[in-house]
Amino acid sequence: MAMQDKSWRDGALQLSTLPLLVIFAAFFVIPLGMTALLSFQGTQYYRLVWTWDLDIWRDVFGQWHYWRIMWRTLVMALVCTALTTVLAVPIAYAMINRLSKWSHHITLLMVFAFLTDAVLKTFGWVLFLDRSGVLNGMLAGLGFGPGAVDVLFSPTATMIGMVYNLLPYTIFTTALSMARIDRDLVLASYDAGATRLRTFFEVTLPLARPGILAGAVLVFVLALGVFLEPKVMGGGTSPMAAELIRQSFETRVNWPLGAALTIVLIVIGALVLAAAGGLAAIRMRRSKA
Amino acid sequence: MPSPIIEATGIQKYYGDYRALTDISLSVANGEFLALVGPSGCGKTSLLKILAGFEDLSGGSLTIDGRDMAGVPASARPTRMVFQKLALFPHKTVAENIGFPLKLAKRPAAEIDAAVRHMIELMRLKESYLTRFPHELSGGEQQRVALARSMVSQPPVLLLDEPMSALDAKLKKSLQAELKHLHRHVGTSFVHVTHDLEEAMMLADRICVMRAGQIVQLGAPAEIYYRPADAFVAGFIGDTNLLPARLTPEGAGLRFDCDALDCAAPMLAPGQLAPGLEQGGEALLMIRPEMLRLLAPGETAEATIEGEVAEFFIRGASIQYRVAPSGGGAEIVMDLPGTSVLPAQAGDAVRLGLTLSDIFAVRP
Repeated sequence: MAMQDKSWRDGALQLSTLPLLVIFAAFFVIPLGMTALLSFQGTQYYRLVWTWDLDIWRDVFGQWHYWRIMWRTLVMALVCTALTTVLAVPIAYAMINRLSKWSHHITLLMVFAFLTDAVLKTFGWVLFLDRSGVLNGMLAGLGFGPGAVDVLFSPTATMIGMVYNLLPYTIFTTALSMARIDRDLVLASYDAGATRLRTFFEVTLPLARPGILAGAVLVFVLALGVFLEPKVMGGGTSPMAAELIRQSFETRVNWPLGAALTIVLIVIGALVLAAAGGLAAIRMRRSKA
Repeated sequence: MPSPIIEATGIQKYYGDYRALTDISLSVANGEFLALVGPSGCGKTSLLKILAGFEDLSGGSLTIDGRDMAGVPASARPTRMVFQKLALFPHKTVAENIGFPLKLAKRPAAEIDAAVRHMIELMRLKESYLTRFPHELSGGEQQRVALARSMVSQPPVLLLDEPMSALDAKLKKSLQAELKHLHRHVGTSFVHVTHDLEEAMMLADRICVMRAGQIVQLGAPAEIYYRPADAFVAGFIGDTNLLPARLTPEGAGLRFDCDALDCAAPMLAPGQLAPGLEQGGEALLMIRPEMLRLLAPGETAEATIEGEVAEFFIRGASIQYRVAPSGGGAEIVMDLPGTSVLPAQAGDAVRLGLTLSDIFAVRP
C-alpha cells in the first residue's frame, strides 16, 4: 500500500518547490516565531518593552479569567463542530441522493449565502431573533406572548450564528465525498438485502467519512477563531478567545499578552486536531476508501 | 420439465419516450443457466436490472420463485447480482464483504463465519485473504470474492452483469470454466448477461439473443449456432458466410439460385430454412467457415466454390483462409484444422467444397 515515492530526492523538484517554501516561511513561520518571541516581552505606558521574561506567561496561566475564556472557546468550538456535522450529513445526503434533480439549484443558493458577508448575515440573525424581531413578530401573530423566543445575547445565540456561518463547509465537503460513491455499491447493498437506512450506515456513511472529517477539521479550526458571532449575537456577555486576543492588542495595547493568548489558542487547536487525527488513523489504519 | 424459477410475461420498459424493452416474455427453469446476449443497447442489461429490482416495469408481469415481484424492492428479492465492476465494498474486508448478506439476514456470527469459510474454499481463495481488503487482491481474486458474496446466502437466482468483461483473455477463460463448474455444483439458476456469444455458448444451457429491446431468438447453443432465426443472429458470432440466393418451392423442398455456388442439384430440405422462408423468396445461405473444405484436383462435392486465396491466418487449432471467389462477390471464409504443412498459400487457385445439408437459409 505504501507508495515508493522518491520524488523528495529529486533536486529539480526541490528547487521548484522553493518559491512556495519561501512564501510559507515569510508569511507563516516567521510571523509565528515573532509572535512567540513577543510573548516574552512586557508593556509600560502602552509601549512595548523588551524585557525577555515570563511575566506574561505567569499572568496568562495564573488568571482564572483566561482559563475560563479558553475553556469556553474550546467547548463552543467542539459543540459547533458536532452540531454542524450532525446537520450537514443528512443535508448533504438529501442533496446528493433524494433531491439530486435540484442539487445544482441548492448548491447555487448555498454558494450565494456562503459568499454573502458574514457581518450582514450575522446582523440579519439579530434582526430575526430580536425580542421585537421577525421571529417573535410571527410567533405573536400565531398567538404566542410577546418575546416568546428570547435567546439573543446568550451563548445559545452565539452557537446559532456559528453553526449557521460554518455549516456550508461541512455540507460541501460531505456532499463531495458522497457524490463520489459508486452508485453500484449502494445497489449492491440493496441487492444483498439491506434497507435504505441500513445502506446509509453500512455503505454511504463509512465511504463519506473522509469528507465528513475534512469538514469537521475546517469547522473546528474556524470555530476556534470566531469573534463576530460572540460579539454581535452573544452581545459580548460571554466572549471567546478571538475577542480576548483582539482586546489585548487593540483596546489594552498589550501586545505580549495578545501574543501569548494567540499561542495558547494555536496549541489548543493543534492538540485537539492531533488527538482526533490519531483516533481517525487508528480506525482507518488498514482500510482505504 | 422442472418448474420455472423466473416467469416474465409481456415485459415493457420505457425511459421517457425511449422503448428499452418491448414485450419480453421468457421463463427460466429451476437450475438453468440462461445467457442474455446482444449488442450494446439491446436491452439485456435493462432486463437484468428489472429482474434484480433496480428498475421498475413499465408493463407486463414478473414472477420469481413463485412470487409476483410487483412492488418488491431489490432488498427483498430472491435474486443476487454480480456487478460488472464487481461493486465490492472497499471499506469492508473480504470476510465482511462475503458475509454481508448473511449479516443483514441477522444470522448468528458462527454460522456466518462457517458460510464465509465454505465460500472461500469453494472459490479457491486463500484463507489468509479473509482479513484483507478488496484493493489488496488481484482482479481475478476480486471476481471470486464478488461471486462468493452473491452466492453465500444460496439465492435461487444469480444475475451476472458481464462480470468478466474487464478481465484479460486468459483469466477470462479459466473463470468461465470455474463459473460453469460452480453452476453445476450449486444448482442455482444463473442469468448471465454478455455481449460475447462465444462465452454464452460455452456457459449457457439456453441463449436468449436480443436486439433493439426484443427477443430475436431463444434456444440451446447448438440451435442458435446452426439454426439462427435470422441474418442478425447468424452474423453475430465469428466470420460467417452469408451468400445471397433466391429460393423457389419445388416438390417437397426448395430450389435455390446462388451465383456463388456451383451446384448440380441445388435443393434445400424444409428443415434447413429459418421461419418465414417456407414459401421461398430472397434469402441468405449461411455457411459456417468450418463447414467448408479444400478440394483436391478432380475431387467432387455437392456444391463447390472456385476462387483464389486472398489471405490466411494461422490461429493455432485452425487455419483461416479468406478466398476471393472467381465469380466475384464477398470473400469466402474457410476454417481448416491446423496442420504444420499449409494446404494452400496466398495467391493459389483453390476449389472449396461443401455438403448441401450444412447450409442453412435465413431471411436477409
